[in-house]
Amino acid sequence: MKKRSPALVLALFMALSLTACGGGAEDDGAVHLTIWQPTDKEAVENWWVEKLDEWNSAHPGIQVSREAIDRSDSYAYDNKIATAVTSKQLPDILFVDGPQVSYYAANKVTIPLDAYFPDTSDFARSTIAQCTYDGQLYAISASESSVAFYYNKEMLRECGVDVEDLDARTIDNPITWSEMLDIAEKCTTGSYVGTHIVMDHGEGLPYALEPMYISNGRDYISADGTTADTYVNSAEAVETTAFLAGLIADGYANVDPITDEFLNKACATMLGGSWEVATLEASAGFDWGVTYYPVSDETGAAVSPCGDWSAAITKGCEYPDEAGQFLQWLMSTDNVATYCAAVAKPATRASAYDHESMAAYKEGPRALFVEQLQNTAVPRPRSPSYATFSADYAEAMTNILAEAASNHSVDRAYIQEEFNRVSDSFTEDYTSYYAE
Amino acid sequence: MSNERRLSGRQKSERLAAYAFTSPAIILLIAFLVVPMCYTLYYSLFKYHIIRPDDMRFAGLDNYAKLFHDGNFWKALKNTAYFTVIVVPVQCALALGLALLVSKRFKGVAVFRTMYFGPQLTSMVVISVLWAVLYNSNPNTGLINSVLAGLGMEPVNFLTNEKTAMNSIIFMSAWQGAGYQMMIFLAGLQGIPSSLYEASSIDGASKLKQFLYITLPSLKGTVKYVIMITMIQAMKLFTQPYVMTQGGPKNATKTMVYYIYTQGFQKGNFGYACAIAAVFFVIVVAMSLILQKFTNEE
Repeated sequence: MKKRSPALVLALFMALSLTACGGGAEDDGAVHLTIWQPTDKEAVENWWVEKLDEWNSAHPGIQVSREAIDRSDSYAYDNKIATAVTSKQLPDILFVDGPQVSYYAANKVTIPLDAYFPDTSDFARSTIAQCTYDGQLYAISASESSVAFYYNKEMLRECGVDVEDLDARTIDNPITWSEMLDIAEKCTTGSYVGTHIVMDHGEGLPYALEPMYISNGRDYISADGTTADTYVNSAEAVETTAFLAGLIADGYANVDPITDEFLNKACATMLGGSWEVATLEASAGFDWGVTYYPVSDETGAAVSPCGDWSAAITKGCEYPDEAGQFLQWLMSTDNVATYCAAVAKPATRASAYDHESMAAYKEGPRALFVEQLQNTAVPRPRSPSYATFSADYAEAMTNILAEAASNHSVDRAYIQEEFNRVSDSFTEDYTSYYAE
Repeated sequence: MSNERRLSGRQKSERLAAYAFTSPAIILLIAFLVVPMCYTLYYSLFKYHIIRPDDMRFAGLDNYAKLFHDGNFWKALKNTAYFTVIVVPVQCALALGLALLVSKRFKGVAVFRTMYFGPQLTSMVVISVLWAVLYNSNPNTGLINSVLAGLGMEPVNFLTNEKTAMNSIIFMSAWQGAGYQMMIFLAGLQGIPSSLYEASSIDGASKLKQFLYITLPSLKGTVKYVIMITMIQAMKLFTQPYVMTQGGPKNATKTMVYYIYTQGFQKGNFGYACAIAAVFFVIVVAMSLILQKFTNEE
């Protein structure tokens, strides 16, 4: 017996390990649903705890739990999903970023939600467009996002910029690229740089900068999502990128900005997300303002980004109807309003703005973002190859901006070369996996 | 008569005990190394997108053929080789130097040992984030550039210039890793009999000669071990480029493991990533065998 004991211990250890890896049993007779979502700030985490308690108390037959996963301003969350698909360990409900909806839909990771959301007229057109692939709704979002031009009024006044003019701009009269450049140039001093254009080194780059490209006449990818050739590598795209790289080359923006660069007074202006409003209201010890996304001098076309994390039901979900029922409740006007108040983002539902928790969106910086979303928002490309595009574009832009920072000049031939590579990679991915 | 029959009861018992003691390690090795390796080889023969596991298409050696024409693969291999060739001698020399310093008995030596070993106790992710801030190109926000600006020098784009990015990572990595090797060298130094130094002093040997003819030869085994583990660690370089440079600028810090990650996870080309991993595995094993043979001959 003594000789067998190590083997027995090992067998027991392995058996216990396997048990630990298995799915949860439903001994209580209830349906158990799990949600994955990127980790968010404390207010949002608290909102989820409160709301899930509310749902679970009211629906003993459908118990929902949530797992918050770190995103790290990169592709870490998407990597986790990819691994879970391979190991068939996806949750029932998955939050995906707007442009990834098409990617997961085309790869049959998620299922259509049309049956659970037959009437989407109360939702913003931009969010429904972002969540639709091949004519079907594959995800649903409570919150929206956008990007606009923030400015530190004290720094701008110091540098001789007409702040009152910026404050008075309307959606029909936004600042142009040359005005943005002028402000950045004037406000680059020994203590801070004029502006901030690098949101992060992941999806933040294509997300925040896409309106520049559209405003200048050419999007990244064709409208049907099948090709990037003659789009991302077009003359217009090279010109747009040259403008952005010029800001880095001339030292008006940092190529590797520190976290919260604007909040830390290391830059005078920034292209920043709608979520920055709450951060600045809470922590900025200076007077700041925000105006509409800058437009191309050539076209004057006003465009702004949109799209946010959206809920989708995974293909492997054993109880899609129960998951659909939960999502219907989650996306109710009250829940959308309180969620958006907690996450400090605009709401997707028009009716949510009548809720008391959204009172702050009636005027001021928040109202500007709502107005921008309602009038100039354009969803990111809906293509199954967007994941590949996003990684390649981010890499190309990092290279282009680094080149500009090192040489203090903009090399258009290099931009063209990098974007040709992005286009080729997109073509290879699309033809390899989706063309048929 | 077979060997089995000749074994006494005691020998049989010892053999069983040996199997029992080694089996957990062997099982874990098979489960987490051999099996994944076989799977890697298997997947490398397929066109396989990571989120389409039900749509694997046999591709034969296509992934391997593609690899040999992939400029990024060769660039990543070159970067990995450069990092390894520089960081191994630099880190080993630094570690040996530190070990020699703290092997002496003087007041406060324990503090120095702790300080030098300290970076090893911190996660490489944390170290990378801290050094990314230190290396920041703006003198207002980057500590090193603020010192350079104070000295009247031009700021250096440490991590955003293709000429300096990899060297900046090498410097940081050598600083971070040297503490661990220092402890191994320290253990080796403490195993050298003091009588050897005493005898050589009587014979009039200088400190340099003592180092060259006593310390280094006595540390031969330790040096071999340290070089081997440093080389293998260096070839696995991932965290620093992932956190600090994302493989850029211009692929200057794209390493093999980082390239495998981007192909497999960011772009979903899992079959292709497996082919790169398989080739890289062969390279690492070959390098290790060559190094082992070389050092054994020495």
